[in-house]
Parts: sequence; C-alpha cells; structure tokens
Amino acid sequence: MRSTSRRAYALLALILAFFAGVIILVISLFDKGGIWTAKRVNAHLYSGGQIVNAGAVYTADGEILAQSQDGKRLYSKDKNLRLSTLHTLGDASGFISSGTHSLYREELFGYSFINGIYTLKEHGKGNDIYLTLNSKACKIAYGALNGRKGAVGVYNYKTGEILCAVSNPTFDLNNKPKNMRMEKGEAHEGVYLNRLFSGLYTPGSVFKTVTAACAIENMPALDSWRYECKGQLQTGLGLVKCPSKHGKMNFEQAFNKSCNCAFAELAIEMGTEMLEGQAKSLAFGQALKIDKTTSAKSILNLQTANDLDLGWAACGQYTVLANPAHMMVLMGAIANGGSAARPYFVEKIVTPNKILTYKAIHATEDSIELEADKAGKLADFLRSNVVNGYGNSSFPNLNMCGKTGTAEVEDGKPHAWFTGFSQRDDLPLAIVVVVENGGSAFYNAVPVANRVMQALS
Amino acid sequence: MQSSSQNKGFRWVLLMLFVSLFQTLSFAGLLFKNNKLDLELLYIFLAYMAGQWVYLLLNRLITRRRDFQLEIIAFFLSGISLVVCASFNNNFALKQLLAIGLGLLAHVLVLLMSMSTDVAMFFRIPLALASIGLLAANLLIAETTHGTLNWIEIGGFSVQPSELVKIAFVFVGAVTLEKIQSTRSLTKYLLYAVTCVGALFLMRDFGTALIFFFTFVIIAFMRSGDVRTIFFATTGAALGGGMVLYFKPYVVRRFATYRRIWENMDTGGYQQTRVLIYMASGGLFGLGLGEGKLRNVYAASTDLVFGLLCEEFGLLLGLAVLVAYGLIALYALLAARQASSTFYSIAAVCAAALLLFQVSLNVFGITDLLPLTGVTLPFVSRGGTSMISSWGLLALIRARGLFQAPKVKGRGL
Repeated sequence: MRSTSRRAYALLALILAFFAGVIILVISLFDKGGIWTAKRVNAHLYSGGQIVNAGAVYTADGEILAQSQDGKRLYSKDKNLRLSTLHTLGDASGFISSGTHSLYREELFGYSFINGIYTLKEHGKGNDIYLTLNSKACKIAYGALNGRKGAVGVYNYKTGEILCAVSNPTFDLNNKPKNMRMEKGEAHEGVYLNRLFSGLYTPGSVFKTVTAACAIENMPALDSWRYECKGQLQTGLGLVKCPSKHGKMNFEQAFNKSCNCAFAELAIEMGTEMLEGQAKSLAFGQALKIDKTTSAKSILNLQTANDLDLGWAACGQYTVLANPAHMMVLMGAIANGGSAARPYFVEKIVTPNKILTYKAIHATEDSIELEADKAGKLADFLRSNVVNGYGNSSFPNLNMCGKTGTAEVEDGKPHAWFTGFSQRDDLPLAIVVVVENGGSAFYNAVPVANRVMQALS
Repeated sequence: MQSSSQNKGFRWVLLMLFVSLFQTLSFAGLLFKNNKLDLELLYIFLAYMAGQWVYLLLNRLITRRRDFQLEIIAFFLSGISLVVCASFNNNFALKQLLAIGLGLLAHVLVLLMSMSTDVAMFFRIPLALASIGLLAANLLIAETTHGTLNWIEIGGFSVQPSELVKIAFVFVGAVTLEKIQSTRSLTKYLLYAVTCVGALFLMRDFGTALIFFFTFVIIAFMRSGDVRTIFFATTGAALGGGMVLYFKPYVVRRFATYRRIWENMDTGGYQQTRVLIYMASGGLFGLGLGEGKLRNVYAASTDLVFGLLCEEFGLLLGLAVLVAYGLIALYALLAARQASSTFYSIAAVCAAALLLFQVSLNVFGITDLLPLTGVTLPFVSRGGTSMISSWGLLALIRARGLFQAPKVKGRGL
C-alpha cells in the first residue's frame, strides 16, 4: 500500500511533462505566431490566396498605394503610380517576394501575440505602412524608361531612404494581364522580379569605377601615369578594343573617355588578385541588406582569367555581373566620404490607434570598405566625368558626378547604365539607371537619370 | 482531504458562482444573436445551469461533503463544450446537454460501483465481460468511419464503445490489483488487457489503442516491485511491438507529415496548420465566439476543439482549460496518496493518467508537437460517449473521496 501510494508520484512526472509541453506550445506561438497568422490560407486575411484585409500603404508624399475596404484590396487611382511602384508595394498574392505586401505581411495585418489579429478583425484595419518612396519621382522614372525593360533607383546616401525604385516590365494591379509571357526575351520576362534589388547585369564601363578605386590604391604613381590609346591593346591572347583612338591621356582623361585599352592596361599591370580584392572590399560577392530583403550578389570571378579576360573584366565585360542597387549604394559610399547609408523603403509603421510601432533606423552599409581619401579622389574623378565627359548641361544645376556604362551583351543592343550622385548639400542622392538593351548610355541612360534627379531637385 | 476539516476553507459555492458567471457571459452573446432571444437555446442553457447546481446541492445534502473541486472543474469544461456546441447549432447543443446528463449518470453509477472495495470486487467480472462484449459487438457491426472502425450508429446517435470501455479498463485493472492476487487471476487480467488492446488494433483506432496501452503500463507500474512486474513488462513490450507492427503503414503515414506540416498544408498537415494559424490569429483574448474560421474546418468541434477555443476565446482560456486538467491530475495524486486501499489509489492515478495522456495526445497532436492521432479532448469535445467516458473516469478519481472520507464520522452512504 505504502509503495503504491509512493508510485503515485509517477503521475507528477506526467503532469510536469504535460506542462513542459504546454510551455513549448506557448513559446512556439510567441515565436512563430506572426508567421503562422500570415500564411496564405488564413481566411481572416486572404481570399483566394490574395490579401483582402490589411493596413494601408502610403508613399512619403502621402499617396495611398494600397488600402483595404469592405473586404477588398484597393490600389492607387493613378495608373502610372500603380505601374511604377508595383515592385516596392508587391502584389496581394505574394508573387513579388521583395514587395511590402510580402515582407511586411505580419505588420500589415497588425498581428501581435497579445491581440492576434483582433484589431484587424474589429476595426477592419491593420497597421499602416509609410514608405520612403516619392510618387512623382517613381512615375517620372517609369515614364522615362518609356516601356523599355530596366531599373531606376534613387536613394539618400546620408539617411538610406529609397525615394525611387522602379522596375520594368511591370503590370497593373487593377488589371493584371492574363497569360503573361515571362520567357526570356518576351514582354513580361521576369515581371515578378524587382530588377533594382534582384537584377544582375553586365555592368560595362560603370565597373571602371571599381578598377579606378583599385588603381588609386595600388598605383602609387597614378598622378603621373600616362597612356597612349591606339584604339586597341594587344594582350598576347587577343585584342582589347576602344570605339576610337583616344590618343595620349593621363588617368583622369582615360576615365573621362572611358578608354578600354587604358583600363585593361592598368588591370594587367595590377593583376587579378588586386582587382578581385578591390571588388570584394566594395561588396562584390555580398548580398547587401535592403530593408527586410537583400540585393542579388554582384559577381567578379577571375580565377581562370587570362590577361585578355582581365583586361575586359576591368572594363566591366568578361563574366562580370553587377546588381543595380549595389551600384547605387557604391555611389552613395563614394559620395558620403566612404560610408554609405544602408538603403530602406519602409519609414514607419503606425497602428490604427496611431501608435508608432516601427521607425526606420539610419544604419551604415558596412560591407563596403572605402577609405575617406580614396572616396574623395573617386568623387573628383566622377565629377570630372560629368564636367569633361557628359557635360554639365546633361544635368543642369545638379552638381552631378557619375559614370556611364554601355555594356556589350551577347543578344541585342548593349545595356545602357548610369551610376552617379549629386554633390549638392540639399540633394544628397545617389542614382542608378539600367536600360536593358537600351543602346548608348549617353543617349539612353543619362537622360533618364537627369529627369528623375530634376524631379527630386 | 482525508477529513472534511481540510476542506473547510474551500468555498465551493463561490467558485461555482464564478464558473456560472463565466458560463452566463459566454452564453449571453449566443442567446441574443440577430437581436432576437433564442428561447430554445435559453432553455438549454438554463437546464444546464440548473443541472449543475442541483447536482452539487443534492450531493452536499446527501454526502455532507463540500470538496467539489473535481466536479466544478468538470462542470467548467463541460460548460465550455456546451457553449461551443451551441455556437454551431441548437441541435448540437441539445445533444451535448443530453451527453452531459448521461455523463453525470455514469459518474454516479461508477461512484456507486466503487463505494467499497467489496462492491467493486463484485462488479469486476461483469464489467470485464461487458466491455469485451461491447468491443466485440463494435467489431461486428461497425462500418469503417474515417479510416477507423470504432463507431456504431444507434438511433441517430453515433456511439464509440471504446470510450465506455476506458472506464471498465481502469476499474477492472485497479480492482484486480487491490487484493493479493494469485498468478491465475493476474493472468486473467492480462488476457483481458490484451483482448481490449487487440480489439482496438483491429478497429485501427491508433489513438485509443495508444491510450489503453499507456494506461496498461501505468497499471503495471503501480503494481511493480515483484516477479509479476517482469510479466507485465514483457506483455507490455509485446503489446507495444505488436501495435507498432500492426499500425506500421498508418504510423509511417503519420510520421510523414509530423513536424513537416507546413510542407503538407493541404494534405496530411491540413488540420494542424489550420489549428496553428487560427490559434495565433486569436491572440490571448480571442476573436469572439463564432468569429473564428477554424470552425469551418472538419472536426472543429471534436478533435480540433482546443484550437477553436484558442481562436475564439483566446489563448488564456485555452491555458485555463489545460491547467484544469493539470489540477484534476494533481487532485488524483493527492487522493491516491491518502487512499485507504490500493484500489482507490490505483484507480485515481490511472484514471487521471489516462485523461491527461489523452489531453496531451489531443492538444499536442493538433499543434504538431506530437503526431496527430485523432483522439477527443475529454469533457470539451462534442460527442456523447467521450463525455460519458470523461465523467466516468472522473468518478474513479472521486471514488475514494466520496465514500471513504466520511468514515471519520462513522457515516456510510
């Protein structure tokens, strides 16, 4: 009898195990409740896999990009705004994974461990999200792309706010085309991709900024360096060519004229390791944090490169690939004395009771390592490009610095790039423009950049 | 708990008033839906409210006891089941009211059958035979329902005989081990246990078979300390092995989605993912009765009822329900410690262990902490036999308390 009642304590072990399970259950709810709630089969929030009930999304200048009313998701009345902000806003079905609708689902639903989604259910409102986007700049950038595929990004290199993020092709959320043709070369190729964050392009001459950074660091006599361009450079394995004979130049002039032969010559003098090392310290091979998402990794791989390959790589050809947002942040780093702000597009999140639950933090992008004096020299060279190369008239009153790139690709016309920034104190903005198969950068990318910058000026 | 003096401090009326207030509040919303008083539902609610008070007051008058902790916990849980049923429709609520009534009846019957060890001894063989007969009948007439054979239809009510057998299983086990047993009578009990679990094998009711097996192990443990232990352990292992082998395809299928429910959201993980999604949606305070979406999922008022509670009443109430089960088990532990005979001690521990084990299989099964086995939540799931079984098992915990304690004052029935 006594032993039987002592054995009753087995029950205590069971009770303890039971409550251990209960605690695990509560902890997992606390930890993952938001993710679970946001699942696409949650009938409180979705209908047919589409978000129906959630908070509103605003631009920095007060335009409503999306809101919920009577169990329906409504979008901006301005068609061009819908088209130009699609990728930052994201679609209600979550195909665009880097959009606000996907990344900030939990916040839009106003989920909290304590209240669940009661607020949304009761007030029909989740948390409102205020983006950093400027609606005017987005629409102008979209218009300037004029139907061509590509990406435009502008951000404040001191704070990190992304003012303009446009990716084309796009589609209208109010009238999503059926049977979009998304194969390579077709009208809606990669339509769900935000090309600014996730695109990878042959950079062409915009990569010369990286080669220039490498030369500033590794060529002590760069100031007295001279080169005579004869239109082509024999490397032993083949030719690096320029569009024309640039003649005798110093380094600055070679950068202004974007002389392939001069940059190939410099790279071959320095070697693959130096160029790879420089690219790495400027965040090639790394995914940059952009708000809650990350950029695609830019790529420079010279492991099996011979002199000819190295020469072309120094000019952003060969197998080099660059992500537009990364190039934009690199410009920001140069503009801001070596340290760029980390880009973001969500400024703040506010509950239906007007309580601020999130405010963007201004952080520094630490994956780009650039010394202040090197940044200063690069900024001077980039300024010289505009003054002596593209002409100040290309960017009236903007104090622009920058570098174009006309990147040769296998199929079609070259990609037209512009990467740059304004040196005006009241306009601390860096910009990237890529026009896929746009042709000459000067005629296709530079005007886009100017129009967008003027809109923000 | 041995003497009523220990319970003088326990204000059962106060606690019951508190429970009644909670029940009234949760019913109020249902009674006035669409700005019209639902008279039928009002009667159901009043009948339940009156029923629980009358039961307790009569109990107080007849037995002179006042330690109604167990009953009040059970009324709290049964009340929740009634509210949940009422939130679906009045037919559910009416049936559930009937089920609670039958549960109380079973409760009193089991109490009477275990009023003394001699009486319990008398019922041992008839109960054992009756339960085997019930299972056999079940096997003969049952149609396969949802992959198992454990339901039979009687006059529009579906009955799950294995639920009723639970009470007999614990009762027979406890009373058999009460007296010093000959090896022969022990062998008889083993035969009985193997028959019960075997029948559940054949019914493919994995969850219930597991509960029986677990209870058997607990009974064996409570009796351990001699040669028979080895006998028990061997049989136990054989049963367990047989179970795994028999259910292998089934078990393998369960484990295929266990801990991988999110990859199988629309197949094997359908119920668990919905439970988690809607539990999280409900937060601590719930979205309100009837406002949930889990109720549209199959088995929402039976197997998944805990998820529905959390979504509509909130996680806090869900936790209160779980704490209630913990309190029942704790009460059983204390009762067993002070029991006057091994029968009461083993009966209380095994009944409580069975209940708590079943709660664990249910709650952790639907939330993917354990594989999903499809067992009901005692007292709360909609269903008659489950309710009868819960109240019957509660009587086995209560038995010692009801008829042994008054011995102090020399009072019998």
